[in-house]
Amino acid sequence: MTDPRTLLVARCQSCHSRFLPRPGACPRCGAANVSPIAIPPEGVVLAAVELLAPSTGWPSPHRLALVQLADSIRVLALADRTPPLGAHVVVERDGETYRIAPVA
Amino acid sequence: MSAHVASTGIGRFGRRPEALVDLVAEAGAIALEGIGRKTVDYLVVGTMAAGDLGGVDNLVPRVAERLGLEGAQGVRAEAASASGAAAFHVAHAIVASRAADRVLVVAGEKMTDHPTAEIARTLARSLAPSEQAVGATMPALAALVAQRYLDQHGLEPTAFDAVSVAARSAAARNDRAQFQDPVSLADVAASRPVALPLRLLHCSSVSDGAAALVLEHGEGPAGVLGVGQGFDSVMLVDRPDLASFRATRSAARRAYEMAGLTRKDLRFAELHDAFAPFAVIDLEDIGVCGAGEGARWFSSGDTGPSGRFPVNVSGGLLGRGHPVGASGLVQIAEVARQLRGEAGAMQLDPTPRVGLAQSIGGLATHNFVTILGGETGP
Repeated sequence: MTDPRTLLVARCQSCHSRFLPRPGACPRCGAANVSPIAIPPEGVVLAAVELLAPSTGWPSPHRLALVQLADSIRVLALADRTPPLGAHVVVERDGETYRIAPVA
Repeated sequence: MSAHVASTGIGRFGRRPEALVDLVAEAGAIALEGIGRKTVDYLVVGTMAAGDLGGVDNLVPRVAERLGLEGAQGVRAEAASASGAAAFHVAHAIVASRAADRVLVVAGEKMTDHPTAEIARTLARSLAPSEQAVGATMPALAALVAQRYLDQHGLEPTAFDAVSVAARSAAARNDRAQFQDPVSLADVAASRPVALPLRLLHCSSVSDGAAALVLEHGEGPAGVLGVGQGFDSVMLVDRPDLASFRATRSAARRAYEMAGLTRKDLRFAELHDAFAPFAVIDLEDIGVCGAGEGARWFSSGDTGPSGRFPVNVSGGLLGRGHPVGASGLVQIAEVARQLRGEAGAMQLDPTPRVGLAQSIGGLATHNFVTILGGETGP
């Protein structure tokens, strides 16, 4: 069971880089031995965009936020509202995508 | 120097009724006329999305046939929105290795048949799958880059407006540009938001167009002094700094090293301004000014045609239009035209000796820098 209060990211056994999970080897050093590691889901909004000319299949406006998590890891997350820069948010993983959790 | 641009061919950019092969052949024919139809040994074709947007693939034999080059050889080059520059770099490698002594390079894109949302989705295919999965588009990510730039340097969102004004003012002197009318700072600020801080006039347009040039062994005023490429993380979130493009800095370092020149030897540049903030970042990344200083160079007129470092005298992507595959090559062709004294109403005075073209592929994942100039340097 995955703790809902953590996010699983990847850690390279060779160069110890941490990064969002992805297919294939470590993007920094090319080593194949990459293992999952849990980090807290809390982060800070670095930038947020309200896209008024979205791609096919997405509503307008379409909101995305760049969130700084722990260990220099950043995610591009879907957002229901445009968060202010510097806002503290919680990020949830939703299948292959990330989303800013609604404020309780 | 072992290769030089012997002629160029640039068609009109904008909404064109012709098919992609017609546009590319039109530009190619102009370039071939420029060398008196001398024999071309090799053909390099650059496009980003010929199949998806132009409805055609297997372009090389089609273009060869249209231009009467059936005795030549050829290959297609692709590097997203820098495909035209990639085609030039492939051609340069071919000439430098003496595999061929005269190469026709053509590049183009046909985009205007498609609705904007579909264009956005097609262009987003050059982004990481995880970014496409959340509906990221080029303008969305460019807006994030712009926000980070403004935040890091403590600038107002209007900092980029002068880039758009300068581009449209330059394009008004380029009869092949999509946009022939200048715009004011007030027009830029009043244009509709696309993804703030980006407004419509900060964004290059969907466009059709093609460019060509002949690269041949030997020397001339538009010799290839240096070429370089660089990569950056495909996932934008992997980059520690979004206010500068590592791919440009790597490409520029390699090109300067090959040329044995520094940025002080440059007289002017064509920079990739698919979005106005990119021109500011590009100017910093090629070393013309320091981090955070670029916007002031545009607003002060330092990058104007009579300024201390002219940028995008031909209108840039913002003014000329951005048929994605064509842009990288038309930038190099415009640098060559300046060096050859063939730029007409856009000609810099005095005729410059060394210039640089810089192209961004994808969201700055695969960038190209090309330095052209005469044998004796600046």
